Parts: sequence; structure tokens; C-alpha cells
Amino acid sequence: MKSKPDILDILQRTETGEYCTTKEWDTKRIPGTVRKMLEKYKLSKTYASETPCNFDYELADRFYKAGFELALELGYFCEDTQRIVKVDEEELLDALKYAKSEVFVGEGIDGTLIKSRTPADPYPMAAACSLGITYSEDIYPILTEGIARERAVDLLEAGSLTTIFGHEVLSGTPWETLMGHEHGVMHREIRRKAGRPGMGAIGSISAVTEFGQFGAYGTPGGFLPSDLALILFPSELKIDYRTLHKVIHTQNCNGILKCDSPGMIGGMSGPPEGTTLSAIACALLSYPILQTTVGGGEIYDVRYLSNVNREGLWALSVTSQALSRNTHICAHLIANQVSGPVTANLLYETVTGVGVIAASGSAMTTGPRTAGGKLNDYMTPLECRFVGEVSHAASGIEPEQMNEICKAILPKYEDSIKTPDIGKPFQEAYDIDLMEPIPEWEDIYLRVKEETDELGISC
Amino acid sequence: MTKQYFKRLSDAMITGDEEEAEACVNDAIGAGVDPIMLINKGIQPGMDELGEKFETGEVFLVELILAGDAAKIALNVILPHLSDEDSRSAIKGTVVTATMFGDNHDIGKNLVSAMLSTYGFNVVDAGISAPVREIIEKAESVGADIIAASTLITTSFPYQRQIIRFLNDSGLREKYFVIVGGGPVTPAWTEEIGADGYGRDANDAVTLCQHLMEGDSLPGSLSEPVIIGALGKQLIGR
Repeated sequence: MKSKPDILDILQRTETGEYCTTKEWDTKRIPGTVRKMLEKYKLSKTYASETPCNFDYELADRFYKAGFELALELGYFCEDTQRIVKVDEEELLDALKYAKSEVFVGEGIDGTLIKSRTPADPYPMAAACSLGITYSEDIYPILTEGIARERAVDLLEAGSLTTIFGHEVLSGTPWETLMGHEHGVMHREIRRKAGRPGMGAIGSISAVTEFGQFGAYGTPGGFLPSDLALILFPSELKIDYRTLHKVIHTQNCNGILKCDSPGMIGGMSGPPEGTTLSAIACALLSYPILQTTVGGGEIYDVRYLSNVNREGLWALSVTSQALSRNTHICAHLIANQVSGPVTANLLYETVTGVGVIAASGSAMTTGPRTAGGKLNDYMTPLECRFVGEVSHAASGIEPEQMNEICKAILPKYEDSIKTPDIGKPFQEAYDIDLMEPIPEWEDIYLRVKEETDELGISC
Repeated sequence: MTKQYFKRLSDAMITGDEEEAEACVNDAIGAGVDPIMLINKGIQPGMDELGEKFETGEVFLVELILAGDAAKIALNVILPHLSDEDSRSAIKGTVVTATMFGDNHDIGKNLVSAMLSTYGFNVVDAGISAPVREIIEKAESVGADIIAASTLITTSFPYQRQIIRFLNDSGLREKYFVIVGGGPVTPAWTEEIGADGYGRDANDAVTLCQHLMEGDSLPGSLSEPVIIGALGKQLIGR
């Protein structure tokens, strides 16, 4: 009986798979195969600006079939060996069949059960906060503890460190290994101080190469095997040895894998429809090839460096619906906000982005990406709380209703996506001694929450 | 007849057809068409059209990459037929693009490379996870004007500072403008490390390179970096 490939099979395929140049992969294989599937399944031009949240399930299911076939035809490209790592249909089906439909992350009463969901499923989508925005070394423990204390936040990822003991950290150097371990130890200690010692975590966002992960995950005092190990792809449908180092290290630690691959609207897979297909294929392939437990095919729009525009939201909704209706995997998607703290737009972008993902059936989200994730310390616990609240409150909402909510909110911010208001950094947006938002930020939050409630998301 | 060559070459850019671009240029030069006009009325209009279509979501990164490659092939045939002065005006400058060591993200760099090619720059791609020394060796070997260093990764962007340090320490700083961009990169960082410019996105990178090449300043001599991009405008001076 044939079963899903194990990591040995995969490593061998990185050496023996079909040879392909990066240029051919980028400019011929991905776009050519995506185009072929879009035509075969009649999916071209199915994006409609008036439907930022898709509610046509037949369309989502067609995207799934096409994405499944795309996964089989393309596979992943291994950058280090210039080989294509493929699986056959039986292997892919087997990997999906035996994928876990739920996973407990963390320990005891503080842990979170992440469960496979379907569109409009009332089981709350798990919210991990925040994305890996850089925090200053002195701000890191204060801000991270503030996020951990937000009870609407289920899992803690928090920000990245760029210095350790005051020294700049460079990827691939011993500084990264050291920083990884310090990050892991600090992260555990912060959860304990916040009164949630068993709170599940995602580690380690500071680890760029495998060295950071080796230092952070599964080491004494660091991230535990009951936390999620973060594996980020270099690019859509591409893996490298770093990815595989992290996979094997997580397996060695008996840990839980969470894999994310970035699909780019406007990139190699082209229009929103093509990126949706690519995202579905990426998520599916992460089960047999990377042996993941939580799999995500993330979406970004290269023109806006975001996904809370209409095309991005639509692609998020279709990807989430396709995966959640046709598999029992624990699917993960991310909303990419662009506005900063102390702006209403940051919260509006959260309502649409996180709301679409929750209503469309994903099991888990991570966010926010405040101020587009570009600026050091531009993050506060308040928007993390809001991510958790929307994630839970939008679970159970029908995608058709979510579409109406998006149409009501999008006009408030969509003209400024390319030139967002970056708002204020944590040090200005919060009274740090009291660990409370400044009144202006609190007022904005309460106002948007009231508006959101009137639209049908009762946070 | 001449107009037909221009149209054919422009179409070859839009479709990213390298063979057709090369064949068209050879045919046109054989027929006595002014080679500089092939650039101005054949290549450039096609590239302009692609740039506009990219902004409106009608074409995507792949088309830009293929068009850039087709333009490079066409220019290789055209340049030997130009006077030195025309050659200098035809090529806006040579840019070495790279993603910093430790960072394997390629889409930002690819987009910037493609857009620069679209706007007439000779682009030499030093690849992803590129060590500082290799980037500078590449710049030296191709006689670059600009080094464009991108990264999405927080622990890789300090390598941008290493480029400046390496250039300073090796006495090469005045040879290359160094521009930076990518997810965690900000105007404040650009100023801190002493880079010559920052662009928020690929279009900004083009504007920045054009600005640097058309100006009189020497690399490393600007009193403050040139900042292009809306986010940059808000942040400069913070």
C-alpha cells in the first residue's frame, strides 16, 4: 500500500526530481500551468469587484479542483538544487486524508484547540498576534506582554528582534542562533508573566534562516514542541534547504509545523484568479512535501503590498472557501493591513481582512500587520485585541453577509491603500506605565467597534 | 516600411518575444533604419505600454521580465551601430540588483529589475541571498552605476549597511550609487547607513535611478539620501 511520502522521500526528490532553471520555473512553468488551469476550469475573469467576499461555493469548489490539479502538475521548486519536487495524486490524497483536522497548541487551560472549519462555521477561528513586525529590544518585552494579556488573542507570535544585547543581528551568523534562543526564552517568560504560561505560541518569527530556528525551537527554555514551528517559504511554490532544515528540526523536536507560502497578485501567477490557484496548490502541497499540520497559501498584491483591497479580499475568500469546503485541513490565512496605530483605517482593514478569512472557513489567522509591517514599534496591543475579537465574532457569519459588510467598509479606506496613514508608534499610542491606549486610540477603537456591531459583527 | 519595424519591435516587447525582437532589429538595421530610432520608437513605446498595463493589472511581473529580456537582446544588436553619444543616451545606466544575504525572497528584486529594464536601464541581477562581496564584485565586473539592494528580512537588511562599509573601506564608494528598498527598509534607515536613495516600490526605484543618473552628484556625496515614495515622504526627518 502506498502512503504519503516521508521526509526521506522528499529529500531524495530534491536531488533526483526534474531539473529546471529558476527562470524557466518563474516565467514559463508557473504562469503557463496557471493559465492552462484557469482556461480548463473556466476560471479566468471570475473576479468581480462588487464581490470582495465570494459567496459562490460552486466557484470555490471549481478553484479547488483546479488548484489540486495545479499542485500535481507543478510541485514545488527547490532553489538549492534546481529540481522540481513532485507528488502523485495518491500521495497528495493520502496526505490530505491523514492530515489532522484539529490540533491543540500550548498547554493546559491556556492552550488553544485549532479546528478545521467550514464557511459560516460558528467554531471560532483562532487568532495569533501579532505578525513579525520589528520591535526595539527594550520595547519587546513590554509590548509583547501587553499583547499576551489581551484575552481575545489566542496564540502569541509577537514581533521580531533585530538586535540582541544591543548588537545588530545578521542572518546566517552566530548572532542569529544566539538571538533565536534569547527570543525563545524571553517569549516563554513573557507568557508566564502575563499569567498565561501555557498560552500557545508561534516560533520563531525572528528566525530567518535555520540557525535562528535551531536556537529558538525545542531548546531548553525556548519554544516548546507544543508550540507551532513557523516555516516560511522563500516565494510561491518554491522551497529551499532552509525550509527543509526547519521541517526536519521540528520533526526532531516532535513539534507542530505551520507552513506559509506567499502568492502574489501581479506576480508569477498573474491575476487574482491565478494567485488564488497558486495559493491553493501551495497549501495542499505543504502536507505531503513538508508534512505540515497547519498549512497556508498567503495572498499579497504586489501593487499595494497588501491584501485588503478588493482583489486581495476576493482571493482570500475563494482560497479559504476552497480549502475549507474540500479538505479537513487546519487552513491558515493572513490579512495584511497597511495603516498604523491610532487610525480608524487599521481597524477597518482588520474587519474586512480578518472577517473575510473567518467567514470563509479558515481555521486560523495571524495578524495584524500594522502599518504594513514596515516600521519598528508601529504596533499596539489594542489592534491585536481587535484582530482576536473580529476573528471570533466573524466566525459563523455567512460569506454573503460578509460581502455586504466589506462593501460598506471598503469605501472608507480603499483610496488610501497606496498612501496609508502610518499613525503613531507604540510609545506614542500607549501610556506605557498604565499599559493603556491613549484616549484618542481608545475612542477610535470604540467607535469602529460600534460601527462593526451595527453591520453585524458583534465583537 | 520603417513604421512597420517600429510596430513589430514594440509588439515583440509586449509579447516578450526575444527571437522576434532580435530578428526585427537585424531586419531593420539591414534595411537602413536609424538604430537610435529603433530604441525611441520601437522598444520604448512597447515598454511604456507594458508599464501602464502593469499598473492597471492588465499584465503582470512575468510579462515585464520577459519584455526586459527581449529589450536586452535587441539592445545588444543595436548598440554596436550607435555613436558613443547615442549609446550613452540609449542606456540610462547599469544597475546591479540583489537580495541581501540570508534572504531568499525574490519577487521584490525581480519586480524592480523588470521595471528598470522596462525604462531603459541595463540590469544585472546578482541573485538572492547574495553576499556583500559578490554584489560588489558583480558591480565591478559589469561597470555598474548603481547597486540596488533589496530585502524583506529584518536580519538581512543590516547587510545593506555592510555594502556601504565595504565600499568605503575599499575606496570604491564614489563609483556606485547605493539604493535600498524592501519590507523593513525605511528612509530613516537609508539615511542612517549612508545610502544614496530609497524607493518604496518598483516604480519609485525607477524614478530614483533616473534622478540619480540625471543629476550631477557623485555617489556617496549627497547631503541626504533621495527618498521616493509616499511612506518615505511621511517618514523623512523622523
